[in-house]
Amino acid sequence: MLAYTFRRLLTIIPTLLIASILIFSFMHLMPGDPAAVMLGTNATPEQVEKLRVQLGLDRPIYIQFATWFKDAFRGDLGDSIFFQSPVLSVIQNRAETSIFVATFSMLIILILGIPIGVISAVKYNTVLDQLTMGFAMLAASIPTFWLGLNLMILFSVNLNWLPSSGFPSVVESGNLNNLKYLILPCVTLAAPNSALIIRLTRSSMLDVMKEEYVKTARAKGLKESIVILKHIFRNAIISIVSALGFTFIALLSGTVVTETVFSLPGVGRLVVQSVLRRDYPVIQGIIFVVVILYVFINLLTDLSYAFLDPRISYE
Amino acid sequence: MRKNVTLILLLAFLLIGSSMVMAQEKGGTLRFAMIDTPPSLDQQVITSDLATIIAQHIFEGLYTFNSEYAPVPMLASGSEVSDDGKLVTINLREGVTFHNGKEMTSEDVVASLERWGEFGVRGPVLFEYIDKVEADGKYSVNLYFSEAFSPWKSMLAFINGGPVILPKEIMENANEQPISPEEYIGTGPYQFNEWNTGRYISLTRYDDYAMREEESDGFAGQRMAYLDELRFIPVPETGTRVNGVKAGDYDYAQRMQGDMYESLKEDERVEVLVNQGAQFGELFFNQKEGLMTNTKLRQAVLAALDMEPVLQAAHGHPDLWDQNGSIMPEGTIWYSEAGIDKYSQGDPELAKKLAQEAGYNNERIRFMTTTSYQTMYDSCVVIAQQLSEAGFNIDLQIYDWATVATRRNDPEVWDFFYTWHGFVPDPILYTFLSPTYPGWWDTPEKRDLVGQFTKTMDQQQRAEIWSQLQEQIYTHVPIAKTGDTYTYDITSPNVKGFGQTSLIWPKFWNVWIE
Repeated sequence: MLAYTFRRLLTIIPTLLIASILIFSFMHLMPGDPAAVMLGTNATPEQVEKLRVQLGLDRPIYIQFATWFKDAFRGDLGDSIFFQSPVLSVIQNRAETSIFVATFSMLIILILGIPIGVISAVKYNTVLDQLTMGFAMLAASIPTFWLGLNLMILFSVNLNWLPSSGFPSVVESGNLNNLKYLILPCVTLAAPNSALIIRLTRSSMLDVMKEEYVKTARAKGLKESIVILKHIFRNAIISIVSALGFTFIALLSGTVVTETVFSLPGVGRLVVQSVLRRDYPVIQGIIFVVVILYVFINLLTDLSYAFLDPRISYE
Repeated sequence: MRKNVTLILLLAFLLIGSSMVMAQEKGGTLRFAMIDTPPSLDQQVITSDLATIIAQHIFEGLYTFNSEYAPVPMLASGSEVSDDGKLVTINLREGVTFHNGKEMTSEDVVASLERWGEFGVRGPVLFEYIDKVEADGKYSVNLYFSEAFSPWKSMLAFINGGPVILPKEIMENANEQPISPEEYIGTGPYQFNEWNTGRYISLTRYDDYAMREEESDGFAGQRMAYLDELRFIPVPETGTRVNGVKAGDYDYAQRMQGDMYESLKEDERVEVLVNQGAQFGELFFNQKEGLMTNTKLRQAVLAALDMEPVLQAAHGHPDLWDQNGSIMPEGTIWYSEAGIDKYSQGDPELAKKLAQEAGYNNERIRFMTTTSYQTMYDSCVVIAQQLSEAGFNIDLQIYDWATVATRRNDPEVWDFFYTWHGFVPDPILYTFLSPTYPGWWDTPEKRDLVGQFTKTMDQQQRAEIWSQLQEQIYTHVPIAKTGDTYTYDITSPNVKGFGQTSLIWPKFWNVWIE
C-alpha cells in the first residue's frame, strides 16, 4: 500500500508539468494582455507597452514559463499582476470560502443523496420511488442561477431570515455566526449534485440487488436491514464514493455561477476573473494547486476502496 | 389656550429641528455594492472608474471640479499665471495634513506632479508642455511651460488617472506600476483602512481632515465625512446587488440594468440615482490601413446609422440616454451644433450612394466588439444590422475586452471597433485626439486646430476652436458618436445627503445614514 501511495504521489510531477505547459500555452495563445486590462479602456498603446515591460511580459514565453515553473516548485507561485500580491496569498484568501462551501455542500449532498437513493432503491417502482425520482429530476434540471436568485428573494428579501450575499471570513473574525452566509449558496449547490448522488445510489443499489449473493442472504433468513446495509449498500458504495470524490473536487474548484450569484470570494470566480484580466500567474497558480488537490483526492478515493471492499488490495 | 398652542408648536419645532440635527450626526458604515474590484487605487496610473469611486475619498488634487465642471482649487489656495502663460505659480493651502499626520508642503506636490508627469496615464499629455516643476518656498509651486497650455487647470483637476498629491517619500520611489495599499496616504476625508481581497475595501473617517470652508458644490467645497466607514464590496451580479439593497445587506448598489429602471423607480425599498456624467459610445475607424482609410466610406457608414434604436437597445428607458450629436453634452461650454446635421442620419440610400462613390465593392468590413460590457455588445448588434441593411458586408467579430484592447493596436486586423468614453470636463482629454490612439487620426487640419486649442488661453475662443474640431469630426469621421448615456445606481432610502451627487462618480462625503 505504501509503495502504491508513493508511486501515485510521484505522478504529480509529470501531471503538473503537462498541465502547466498546456495552460501556459493556451493562456498566451489568447490575444489580450493584463497591462491593457489594468490601464483601462482609455490607455494609449505606449502606456500599455511601458507597463508590459515593467511586468516582464515582453520576455520570450519559454523564459517566462521556465522561470515560473522553477519558482513554483520552490513554493513561490509569483505575484498576481492584478492584485500585486503573492499568488499563494490570493489563493489562500479565496480558499477559505471554497473549502467551507465545498464541505457544507458535500454534507448536504451526503445527508440527502445517499439515504434518499437507498430508500428509492428499496422502494423500487412504488409511488415513493416515483416521487423521489421526480424530485431528483427537478433538482438536476433547475439552473443554479435561477434557483440561487429565487432562494435569495424568498429567504433574504421577503422573509429576511438570511443574508443575501457575501461571506465575511470566519477564520479572521472567529465569528461562527458568519456561516449563515453560506446556507443559501450551499443549498443551491447541493441541489443538482444531490440529485446526481440520489440517482447513482439508486441505480448502484438496484444493480447489486440482482446479484445471487443477495438472494442467498435473504434465503438464509437475514434481517432485511442487514441485507440492505451490509450486503447491498456496502457493495454499491464503490461507485458512489468515486462520484463523491469528483463532486468534491468540482465543488472546490469550479462553482463559478453560485459564487457569482452570492458574491462569494471563492476560487471559481477568481479563475474566471483572472482569465478575463489575463492575470497569468493567478491562473497558473490555481491550476497548480487544483492539480495537486485532484491527485490527492483521487488517491484518497482509490485508497478508500481497500477499506470499503476487502477484496481490493494495492500491491 | 393660544399660549399653549404656541408652546406646543415651539416644542414641535424644536423636536423636528433637533431630530434633523441628530440625523446628520456622525456614525455608521455605508456598504457599497460595486460591480467588480479595481486593480489598484493608485489614481495617477489607473483610469478605472471603480478605482476613482473609492480613491476620490482618500486622495485629493490641487484642483477639482464644481457642479458646472469648472476647475476650482482643492488643495491649492489659488494661482497666478504670467502674461505669456509660461509660468504658473500655484499656492497651496496651509495646515493640510496627510493621513500619516505629516503636513503637505510644496515638496510633496513637486514629487507627486513629477511622478504623474513621467509615469501617470494622463500626465505625459500635460508634461509635454512643462519643462520644470519647482518648489517656491514651503507653500508654492512653479510650473514652467515651454509654451502656453490653456487646459492645465482642468488637467490638474481631473482625478481619474490624475495628479493626486501623496507624500514625497512615496512618490519619489514610485514608477508606472501602481503603488501598494500601505502607501495609500492622501489628504481626503476618508483614509485607507483595509483591502480584504475579494471581500471588500474599507475606508475610515479621517478625523483631522482639513476641510475647505466654501459651500459644497459638485466635487468642490466642504467635504464632510459623517460615516465611520465606507465599505466597497464587489457584487458582480446585478440581481444580487438589487436584492442586497432590498434585503438591507447593502446601502448603495452601482450600475443597474436599463430594463430594470421602471420597476426600481416604483419600488419603495430603493431610491434611484441617475448619474449625470454622460458617457458616450463611439465607433473608431481605422485610418491607417484597410477599407476605412477612405474618408468617403467612413462618411457612408455614418450616413447609414440611426442612433435612436442603437441607444434604445442598449440602454432602455429614455431617461438613460440622449440622442445628442454634440461630442460634449449640453450644459457645458463645449456644447456645439457644428456638423451635427450629419449625426444619426439613418439614411441607407445616401449611405449606398456614398459607398458607391468610395468604390466600395461588397468587401468584408471587420467590426470588433466585446461581450464584456453588455451595453457595448447590444449597441453593436443594432449598428451591424443597420449597416448590413445599407449594403455593407459586415463581419461582426466578438471578443472579450482584453482581446479587443490588444487587437485594436494592430491596424491589419480590423476596420472599426466600438468602445465608450467616460465624461471628461475638457475636450483635450479625449483619447481620439491622440494621433497614437488606435484609429490614428492625424490630419494636418486636426493637428493645426489641436495646436490652437491648447495654446489659446481664452475659454470662449477655445470653445469656438473646439466647435471647428467637432466640424472636422463630422467631415473627416475619425469616430462616430452614438449618443450620451447615463448609468444609474440605487440606494437605500435611509441614506441621505446625495443632493446633486453623481456628477461623474458617486461620492460619499456629505452623506449620512439615518
